[in-house]
Amino acid sequence: MSQSQLTNYVRPSKLAEALAQFREGGKSARYVGGGADVARTLPSDVTTLIDLCALNLSSIEERHEGIVIGATATLNEVLESESVAKVCGGVIAEMMCKVGSPLLRNIATIGGTLASAHSWSDVIPLLLVLDARVTLYEGESHTLSLGDLYTLRGQLADSILTSVTIPASGPGDYAAFHKFSRTAYDIALLNCACYVHMEAGRCTEARIATGGTPRLAARLPQVEEALRGEALSDAVIEKVARIAQDTTETANDKRASGQYRKQLVYAGVKRCLQQIVEKLEARR
Amino acid sequence: MIDITLTINGEKRQFAVNAGETLLELLRREGYKSVKKGCESGDCGACTVVLNGRAVTSCIVFAVKADGGTVLTAEGLETNGKLHPIQEAFLEEGAVQCGYCTPGMEMATYDLLSHNANPSVTEIKEALSGNLCRCTGYVKQVKAVKTAAKKLTKEAK
Repeated sequence: MSQSQLTNYVRPSKLAEALAQFREGGKSARYVGGGADVARTLPSDVTTLIDLCALNLSSIEERHEGIVIGATATLNEVLESESVAKVCGGVIAEMMCKVGSPLLRNIATIGGTLASAHSWSDVIPLLLVLDARVTLYEGESHTLSLGDLYTLRGQLADSILTSVTIPASGPGDYAAFHKFSRTAYDIALLNCACYVHMEAGRCTEARIATGGTPRLAARLPQVEEALRGEALSDAVIEKVARIAQDTTETANDKRASGQYRKQLVYAGVKRCLQQIVEKLEARR
Repeated sequence: MIDITLTINGEKRQFAVNAGETLLELLRREGYKSVKKGCESGDCGACTVVLNGRAVTSCIVFAVKADGGTVLTAEGLETNGKLHPIQEAFLEEGAVQCGYCTPGMEMATYDLLSHNANPSVTEIKEALSGNLCRCTGYVKQVKAVKTAAKKLTKEAK
């Protein structure tokens, strides 16, 4: 639907220009990536959109620090990228094909997805466990972890997210994602992502996150701790999935009850770890 | 108003658009009526067009965003009064009932077949997953895409 309240739509070609326009606009200005979200819902006080897509930030490159994905790369460009496919056996594409439809993924950008921070986002929990870092611009560029982006969100209001970097993975790195929804097209009732580093049959590092609890995706440190040093046996998976269920706070909303979500946390962690076991076995 | 230039179905045109106007609204007011207004929230796919080579729901794309780009709508599929193989296939397979979803489905098919000449049934279903049809059971559309793929491969030889 037309956003008739908008009076100004600018497409700056330089970061400094975009930042200045945003600061000038104050509360009435908003950054926009693909715009899919903004075209549907917009706070009534926003009258200026600052489109970041002319900033030339859509490349996907393999650098020494990892796979650097420009903020305005579309979700489908990320899904189809051969560089991104090298991360943990293509887990990002496995997740991405469960995000909306291809029609939406041709519009929505990775930067817009991370910046809008929807609690049900499928992208955020997986990028959290893959230890993604984001680069922000506010006069100069600085990099912080995706987790810190959400912790510090209130203080970063005028920053422009310019890229997300995912560390390259090596032997022993495995990850999996599971989304609970009636169809891939639906918003997740809950989702779960796991990353493990395996050495000599044991898990030396683990990162697990769940989203749509219905709060924004967050890591599960107690589960991660419980996994460290363990082999991924059925008994261990059962044990850590129960810890996840017991230690994750869930709540009711229109999509699902908190009680049901507790069961989903258990099932999500279990299914992700089982997927990883299958991936490990396939490698043998 | 903001001045933009678009190449629609091969024709370069200039428009003055409002800041909040969507590509769907622009296309319909300019007479491209194959682009259907459905949910207006990016859920149903009736407004699908091919923008810069990729299928998008035009109801959630700001018209300004398309500036300098190329747009293909179902009107642009036929050449010299001859239907495009995708359109022929949809007719032959009976994949058209009320027709409201058809142009959008065809544009999603166009994107798919320009990137994948011989898609599997799973790939077809995935490509059409953003296009809802309330008349049929989707079986005939999947067949139509298969048939269109064969027609296009034959044409290319």
